[in-house]
Amino acid sequence: MGAPTNGDRSPVLVCDNVSRWFGGLHALKHVNISVAKGEVFGLVGPNGSGKTTLVNAITGFYPPQEGKILFEGRQINGLKPYRIAETGIARTFQNVALFKGMSVLDNILMGRHIYMKPNPLASLFYWWWAKKEEIAHRKKVEAVIDLLQLESVRDEHVDVIPLGLQKRVELARALSAEPRLLVLDEPMAGMNQEEKEYMVRFILDAQEALGLTVLIIEHHMDVVTAICDRILVLNNGSMIAEGPPREAIADPQVVEAYIGKQRDAA
Amino acid sequence: MFYRLAGVHHTRYETARALWPIPADRKQVIVAGLIALVAPFFLSTLYLGSYMLPWLIWSSAALSLTLLMGMAGQLHFGFASVMAIGAYTSIHLARLGIPFELALIGAGAMSAVIGTVFGAAALRVKGLYLVIATLAMQYLVDWVIINVPAISGGAQATLRTPEVSFLLFPIESLTSRYYLALGWAALLAVFLMNVKRTSFGRALTAIRDKDFAAAVIGVDPFRYKLMAFFTSSFMGGVTGAMLAFCFYRAVTPEQFSFNVSIQLVAMVLVGGLGSVIGGFLGAAFVLLIPIVLTNFVAGLAASGWLAISSNLLAHVPLMIYGALIIGFLLLEPLGLAKIYDNTRKYFLVWPFRHSRS
Ligand SMILES: Nc1ncnc2c1ncn2[C@@H]1O[C@H](COP(=O)(O)OP(=O)(O)O)[C@@H](O)[C@H]1O
Ligand SMILES: [Mg+2]
Repeated sequence: MGAPTNGDRSPVLVCDNVSRWFGGLHALKHVNISVAKGEVFGLVGPNGSGKTTLVNAITGFYPPQEGKILFEGRQINGLKPYRIAETGIARTFQNVALFKGMSVLDNILMGRHIYMKPNPLASLFYWWWAKKEEIAHRKKVEAVIDLLQLESVRDEHVDVIPLGLQKRVELARALSAEPRLLVLDEPMAGMNQEEKEYMVRFILDAQEALGLTVLIIEHHMDVVTAICDRILVLNNGSMIAEGPPREAIADPQVVEAYIGKQRDAA
Repeated sequence: MFYRLAGVHHTRYETARALWPIPADRKQVIVAGLIALVAPFFLSTLYLGSYMLPWLIWSSAALSLTLLMGMAGQLHFGFASVMAIGAYTSIHLARLGIPFELALIGAGAMSAVIGTVFGAAALRVKGLYLVIATLAMQYLVDWVIINVPAISGGAQATLRTPEVSFLLFPIESLTSRYYLALGWAALLAVFLMNVKRTSFGRALTAIRDKDFAAAVIGVDPFRYKLMAFFTSSFMGGVTGAMLAFCFYRAVTPEQFSFNVSIQLVAMVLVGGLGSVIGGFLGAAFVLLIPIVLTNFVAGLAASGWLAISSNLLAHVPLMIYGALIIGFLLLEPLGLAKIYDNTRKYFLVWPFRHSRS
């Protein structure tokens, strides 16, 4: 958190004229963003406005058919998702995507994958080859577990813990990859007020502790105004407002977009 | 009680990740290991040669397959052909005078390479199509072995295994063959347990559980699936060689037919996907069925209760494997290993009801 961007901070993430179609549906229309280092950048908009699609374009799941995406000056659109992960981007999913067959600890350890050298021979000769590496990474992961206060569920299976904690484990998995850009897709969806407050605290703590840049999709306007330096409002795949949260939300087009949705729903 | 969880508290990462973090389990493993080591001294030749030895080898086969099916989540309905490649390769290499230790590695390598080629083709497709692609491997390999005399030794031929020695011990007597099979099974068991506690195993499980989430933290799903095919096929190839040299001592293509592939899948599923103890339990279960069944039906027939043709009787075990596969999938997808684990936990925390380990 800090003052709104000023020119001297170099952009970490740039989307330049990004478009994405699904069949005939134009889900992202010429989207431009520029996120500065250390910034918390919010993506806001009614349901179906293309927020997740933009995140999927950035992380390589649905590459844009038009436009360019640059991370730290390097073009990343066209790279496979696992390559993009290696460049230093980690994300969470709107619907929790944990590895069900694993413990909380093993899920978070997966975040260390890009720094490890998994191979069957290392496993075979565990005591001479893999053990040291495993312990070193375990220590890194314990620091994240500490930060997000997950000690009490460390050894549980992920599918038996409550949803709020699962979201936290997913955040921990992303953080343990030590990304420079953290992308969060509705990290507080389905949480009660108390859990939300915890989550906000954790995100800000992590951002501060690790010097992260954060791109966050969030529905709760109180959260958005509290933590975002700037936001982009999308509607039907188009950018309709951008800027500091209070100003962007007050934009007549944004008000209309939200009210319009309610009218349609009614 | 024998089991206690009380007082077990790990203060170092190493001990928490030990193979058997709980002393009670450790003791049990030591006892089982000792029994296996002294078995040749108290078991009759019949029991050692017709029960223990094949059980160990088939357990090794189940352990090989469970890495691919259980951990990486890739079905394989042609694993017997992977073992066949290993068996034939090892025999031919040994006949060429290559030391047995190297012949075993060669067997694993050949199976791994061919298995991975088929795996790569199979991975272009998913689910049911993967099953069909692995079936294609079974039939293609069968066909090639039968129709290339240089491999099978001619139509309807039986290839005898030459005399070999392993690390200077001649592999000839039943006892020596038993110890070799025991060593291989133990090595595979330790290997799988190590895989599970290291990054390789986690990556496999991750692509099995959620491949897109694995990709987003840097796992290349295709590469790891191929590594699973390679590793699993290598283990299967060496196990095929073990089967040829330690048990059959003469191989024919029928020993590695499609039926055998189905039995292997049944062993893995009944034992519990991805479980080490499940590999041993599943193999025992599947091997014992025909024996129990034959005795049972023969008993019924003898007492005049039931008239059943021997032709039908030969098919009953296969039907039972099918029923077992479906039954376990529906009712207890984690297999016998889960049942074992529940029992174990019950005793670990007795007289309480719940545990967290
Ligand atoms: N994989 C896909 N295939 C087809 N249409 C999709 C796909 N993903 C998203 N869409 C469509 O794109 C639009 C934007 O969706 P999304 O980005 O998920 O919205 P948001 O996250 O803002 O709620 C929606 O109309 C949705 O139906
Ligand atoms: Mg969304």
